[in-house]
Amino acid sequence: MKYTTFNQKPTNPLLEPMFFGNPVNVARYDQQKHSIFEKLIEKQISFFWRPEEVDVSKDRVDFQSLSDSEKHIFISNLKYQTLLDSVQGRSPNIAFLPIISLPELETWTETWSFFETIHSRSYTHILRNLFTDPSAIFDDIVVNEQIKQRAGDISKYYDDLIFYTQLWQTQGEGVHTVEGVAYTITMRELKKKLYLCMNSVNALEAIRFYVSFACTFAFAERELMEGNSKIIRLIARDENLHLTSTQHIINLWQKGKDDPEMAEIAEECKDQAKEIFMQAVEQEKQWAGYLFAQGSMIGLNEEILCQYVEYIANHRMSAIGMGQPFDITSNPLPWMNNYLNSDNVQVAPQESEISSYLVGQIDAEVNAGDFDDFDL
Amino acid sequence: MSEKKSTVIIVDGDHPPILTDHSDTILESLEKQNIEVHYHCREGFCGACRSKLISGEVDYKTDPLAYIDDDEFLPCCCIALGDIKIKLV
Repeated sequence: MKYTTFNQKPTNPLLEPMFFGNPVNVARYDQQKHSIFEKLIEKQISFFWRPEEVDVSKDRVDFQSLSDSEKHIFISNLKYQTLLDSVQGRSPNIAFLPIISLPELETWTETWSFFETIHSRSYTHILRNLFTDPSAIFDDIVVNEQIKQRAGDISKYYDDLIFYTQLWQTQGEGVHTVEGVAYTITMRELKKKLYLCMNSVNALEAIRFYVSFACTFAFAERELMEGNSKIIRLIARDENLHLTSTQHIINLWQKGKDDPEMAEIAEECKDQAKEIFMQAVEQEKQWAGYLFAQGSMIGLNEEILCQYVEYIANHRMSAIGMGQPFDITSNPLPWMNNYLNSDNVQVAPQESEISSYLVGQIDAEVNAGDFDDFDL
Repeated sequence: MSEKKSTVIIVDGDHPPILTDHSDTILESLEKQNIEVHYHCREGFCGACRSKLISGEVDYKTDPLAYIDDDEFLPCCCIALGDIKIKLV
């Protein structure tokens, strides 16, 4: 089915599935098939922040005092996070928007991606503060073997879904040959690609950030790189919300509360979906190994970090009906909770409460005196 | 004048019953007893504290956004309506 930016056929978005129904026409939010996405949009917008609000200038002095192995840990994590948000800043838009059928889900996806671009901008803010010219760091992201290995796994499910969607939207169902390769396009196959892609995105939001978050907060526990830690707290708060959305989507499918065919596919692709998650866990553990290859940092080592990944994975996997495959039951890094608590995300009261600090605020109060110099 | 009624929270496993009034969320009541509960946001949007509600009812002080199954609840943003029995995930 050809994509249209404004579907002129009257549709009832309350009866459409989340994906692969009719394209969205009117962006209306007075009614929702799945009200959770509207609530998530409102919550996410209430979190709005700008990297420049966080002063990172003290981090430059701290960074100079780090050992070489600690510098490696800090910079490698920033590179990996830059990769993750580079992918997430564009991919939900490109992969999901062309096939979404609900206005609230469409806007949620756009809002979600937009916040990932704020995260990307904050990495530039952090790196520009640490280095006069951060080009070498950015350039390494596309050539660093460790990062490339992860990039491949993260983007392949998106790329696959995008390619199949493009074939379907331009040529319809059937067998199509592109550059000598035959592709069979069926709606069932498209939905399978979507299911696996959503599981890959869910695993990304669920655990792929957490090794680097743990390192950032371990520095902050030693009162080092605190500007960076403040930024990462804001990012972690957003990522928690993004994860909530992918968990909702997967559960709506699994429980047959949306497209009944997706419930069948969820059952059919259960093992594959679990494998995607386990693979992400494995890669995170390997990443911890790479980080600490040149030496450890105070308060954190490879073993404890791997345990933390397993602990987080247990929680995240049980949320989407995958059980708890790891033995660990106690949080090996309990101080992490304090950094991930949104009460501790500091907002200056003048910025959040007093309207004169808000950009674009309109003074709605009108006095009779305001018309004094007004002639008819 | 409304009288604050105490309720009892029973946690599945090797934990003594907890007597609580309505000034604390269930998460806060558990923490006061030094029971380890995983949490992140404490505002109902991340789902880190998701637990099983075996019996009884809870009243949410904040609309929970995180995904919870029919038999689950988020201790960070609710209080107990009467005695409840829960199990930590």
